[in-house]
This record gives sequence, structure tokens and C-alpha cells, in this order.
Amino acid sequence: MPEMAKSDKRFFYSLVPAALVSSLILVLLFIVLIYYSAPAFKEYGFRIFTTKTWSPSEESARTSEYGLFIPLLGTLVSAIIAVVLALPFAISTVIFTEEVIPKGMNKVRETFSTLIDVMTGLPTIVYGLWGLAILAPFLRDNLYNPLYAVLGSIPLFSCRPVTGTTILTAGILLSMMIMPFMYSVIRHSYKRIPAIYKEAALALGTTKYEYSKIMMGMVKPSILAGILIGFGRAAGETVAVALVVGNTFNMPSCLLSSSYTISALIANQFGNAALYPYMINVLVVGGLILLLIGIVSNILGIMYLNRVRYTA
Amino acid sequence: MAEELLEVRVEDLNVWIGDNHILKDVYMRAVPGTVTAVMGPSGSGKSTLIRVINRLIDLVPGSKVKGRVMIGKINVLESDPYMVRRRIGMVFQEPNPFPHMTIYENVAIGPRLHGLAREREEIDRIVEWALKKAQLWDEVKDRLDDYPYQLSGGQKQRLSLARALALKPRVLLLDEPTANIDPVSTVKVERSIIEYAKENMATVIIVTHTPQQAARISDNILFIYEGRVIEYGPTREVVLHPREELTRKFLGGEV
Repeated sequence: MPEMAKSDKRFFYSLVPAALVSSLILVLLFIVLIYYSAPAFKEYGFRIFTTKTWSPSEESARTSEYGLFIPLLGTLVSAIIAVVLALPFAISTVIFTEEVIPKGMNKVRETFSTLIDVMTGLPTIVYGLWGLAILAPFLRDNLYNPLYAVLGSIPLFSCRPVTGTTILTAGILLSMMIMPFMYSVIRHSYKRIPAIYKEAALALGTTKYEYSKIMMGMVKPSILAGILIGFGRAAGETVAVALVVGNTFNMPSCLLSSSYTISALIANQFGNAALYPYMINVLVVGGLILLLIGIVSNILGIMYLNRVRYTA
Repeated sequence: MAEELLEVRVEDLNVWIGDNHILKDVYMRAVPGTVTAVMGPSGSGKSTLIRVINRLIDLVPGSKVKGRVMIGKINVLESDPYMVRRRIGMVFQEPNPFPHMTIYENVAIGPRLHGLAREREEIDRIVEWALKKAQLWDEVKDRLDDYPYQLSGGQKQRLSLARALALKPRVLLLDEPTANIDPVSTVKVERSIIEYAKENMATVIIVTHTPQQAARISDNILFIYEGRVIEYGPTREVVLHPREELTRKFLGGEV
């Protein structure tokens, strides 16, 4: 270590605990989750991932059946719907902020994007309440019923929408929640494109559309990053989803049916899980899966972000 | 497409950026088949002048332009900038091939955008032609799918030149294209520029801050100082018999 003033040495050592704790939290989380999920694996094996029923019994582990298959699929389906719906909005909004709002109106631009950034920090329960009280019934009446009437022969829409709380509602609500994240990730990269490339593209006689396409091509890795990070957030989102997904063990293969996600399952079942043998352990397995999804999607996302080339 | 000859004529051009009067009553004429060098010390308004010609000045917040910039029969200042730029190629001071496109794609993008060629073979031919014109073909013909970051600075600049040439622009603007590249590439770029002007009867305008380069490659010189045209005439005359004291000083490296 290079020479340090005495007071700086003290300063340096005072930083060590914070740094250690921050880096250890993830490791500890992993250890705890693995520790508590181990009994579930021991008792049921990998059957918990393939079983489609959830029938806990207070008497014994033998008569209990815990299947994570449906919530797992529900998590994937709702997160994919969310990403697919949010992506075009995120990209369009970035182009709108950076290219359509005129150069001289920086205040407008910053205010506009601040508003979107603020959305990333809103309490998710607010989205959930709005989704349950307003969005779900609205979608049932104006989207699901017509969809069922017209496209009911297609398996995706072949179930009668009884309530508005469905896997599709969860996906749509999630898309609204992750759109600002994807916007931020993409815009952050877009803003860093050096002026020399913008000039190069314009000098070729490109229209705004052609120009935007070239610029988006330049930050394509950040779009992939946005997709991944958005997916991770959507998969882990809990409160809002628990309110609108319906919380039933129906296969999410029909988008108009209520279903379950891992996060909603944990939130709903954890309260009384102690009454049933191994239920806590199975729920922790779900948590472990969510953690893995979050870690993998974020690590990949960050890797992609670093892949954007700003110099030739 | 018929090879139309487009003369560039600038008359009474005044440009302000914010409160700064950058160009004052500037005039010039650049004729097809010739190279016109715009020279002057840095900050004299040279780059602004060529950015008015292809309307890149529009990007500068607070810019105001008055006067006439004619390309052929069109007044650039009153036209759709996209249409103007399609017929004008530009090479910048900083080599700027698109980093996310391969060497091939960088050259092909112009023709593809403007529908000059649809078939793969046609585009191949244009790409080869442009890279040859930019004196880069021999160095990259076996690695057209490489990315520009694998090229040297001088090669990147020649790639930028090839990208501009691929559209066969009737007017080619160059903003100090050799300021940041090696001497070998500089020679190649200069040779390409002269060849392109002569062979295609194109109107070439190059901004340079070195009188030596202006002398080497141009037919006419426009000398600008603090936003005003000080001297304008055939290169030989301006270099050998400058009429103005300021020009003499600039050629002698004093201003």
C-alpha cells in the first residue's frame, strides 16, 4: 500500500466494514436460501419443479404435494409479456426524448425524462392497487371479452375471462412498471453516442427515421441489456403481481386465465406456511429460483451494456 | 442517372451562433471538376462554412443563417435538408465510420438507404469501387467483415471517405480530413480527392488549416480570416502572389 497520511489510514480502515458487508450480503443470501431449500429437495427431489398441483396437507409430508411448475411458468410468461410490450414503448420514448423534442428545449426534455425516471421509484403497491381496481376490470370488458369472442379458438385465448385478474393483466401491468427501467438503460447509452456519428449519419441524407435506426443500431447491446434487466425486474416483482394475477393454479398457457407467479406464491403462502410440513422450504426454493433469475439477467445485462462501442 | 454538374455558389452569407457573428458576407464559387480549398487559422469559420452548405449547421443550437447558398439551381437554405444532403458527401476531421457496422456495411449503408442498389452483386460492386477510390481496397479486401476498430486511424478515415464516395456525390465536402491521420494515409486521401473531382466532374470543397495542403491539392483557394473572405482565387496565384498582407502572413506561418 502506498504511503498514507495517518488520518487517511484511519479513513481507509473505516471504509472496510461497509465494503465487506455490501459484498457479503449476496453470498449470505445464497447460503441461507440454499440451506433452507435443501430439505425440500431431500423430501421431494426435482419433482417440485414438474408437479402441477399444490395440495398441502397438515398431517404429513407424504400426503402433501407442492408443485412449482405453474408459478414458474407464470413468472416466465408474465415477464416475457411485460418485456415484449414494454420494449417498443421504451425505444420509441427514447427517440422521442432525444430526437423529437427540439435541441433548444432541453428543459422540456429533462422534465419529461425525469417524469419517466420517477416512475421507476414509485411504490409498487400503487401500481398493484390501480391494476386491481381499474386496469383489470377495464381490460376484461374492453379487451379480454372481445379477444375471447373473436380468437377463442386459439389456445392462447381459449378460456373465458371470468375476472380481470389474469396472467395477461399481470404482464400488461408489469410492462408499465418496467418500461421506465428499459427507457433509462437505453437512453443512458443513447445519450453517450458521440456527435461525430450523429453528423456522419445525417450527412448521408438520412431521414429522422433512418437516422434513429442507425443510432439505435449503435446502442443495440444496451437494448439487449434493457430487455434482460427488465425481464429480471418483471420476474421478481411481487406485490403488484400478487394483486392482479389471480393466484390460482391454472396453467398460464391461456393468457385470459388467472394463474400464479413464484413471487405471488411466496407472498400469499408464506404467512401460513409454518403450519404445513416443508412448505417453507419449498417456498424458499422459489425464492432461490427468483434470485438466480435476477442475478443471471442482471449480470448478462451489465455485460451487454459494456459492449456498446462508442468509438470505431 | 445523368451526371449532372453542380456548381456551389455562396453569396452574402452571414452566420450567427448565439450572439457571435461567425461568417461575415462570405462568398465563394466552387466549380465541378475542381478542388477548392478553404483555408484559414482555427476559429476563422471554415468548418461553419461547409456545414452551411449541407445544412449540418441546423444541428447547432442558436444558429442563424442569412444569404444564399446555391447548389446548381437550388438554394440550399430554402430546401429540404435531407434532399440536399443526399447529393452532398461529407468527410469529417475525426474518422467516424460507424463502430457497429462492418467495413462492408459502412460503405454499403448509403447506397442501401437511398435505394441506389438492391441486388447483392450491385452493392458489392459499389463497395469495391468506393473502397478502391478511397485507396483502401488493397488493405481490406480480405476482411470486409471486420469492424472499423480493427483498422488504423488513417484507414478509418479512408473508410469514412469510401462511405461518402459510395453515394457518388456531386458535391464532396471535407472538413480537415487529414488533421488527425498519418502521413501515408494523408497522401492517399489527397490523391483520392483529386481523382474523384477530375474523373467524376464533382465539386470538391476541402477545409484545411495548412497552406501546404491547399497548395498540393486545390485549384482554387478561399482564404478566410475571422469570418471574412480575405482572398479568393486560383491556387497558384494566391500562393505565389498573394494580394493581401494577411494572406502573405498566413502562408508564412505568422498568423
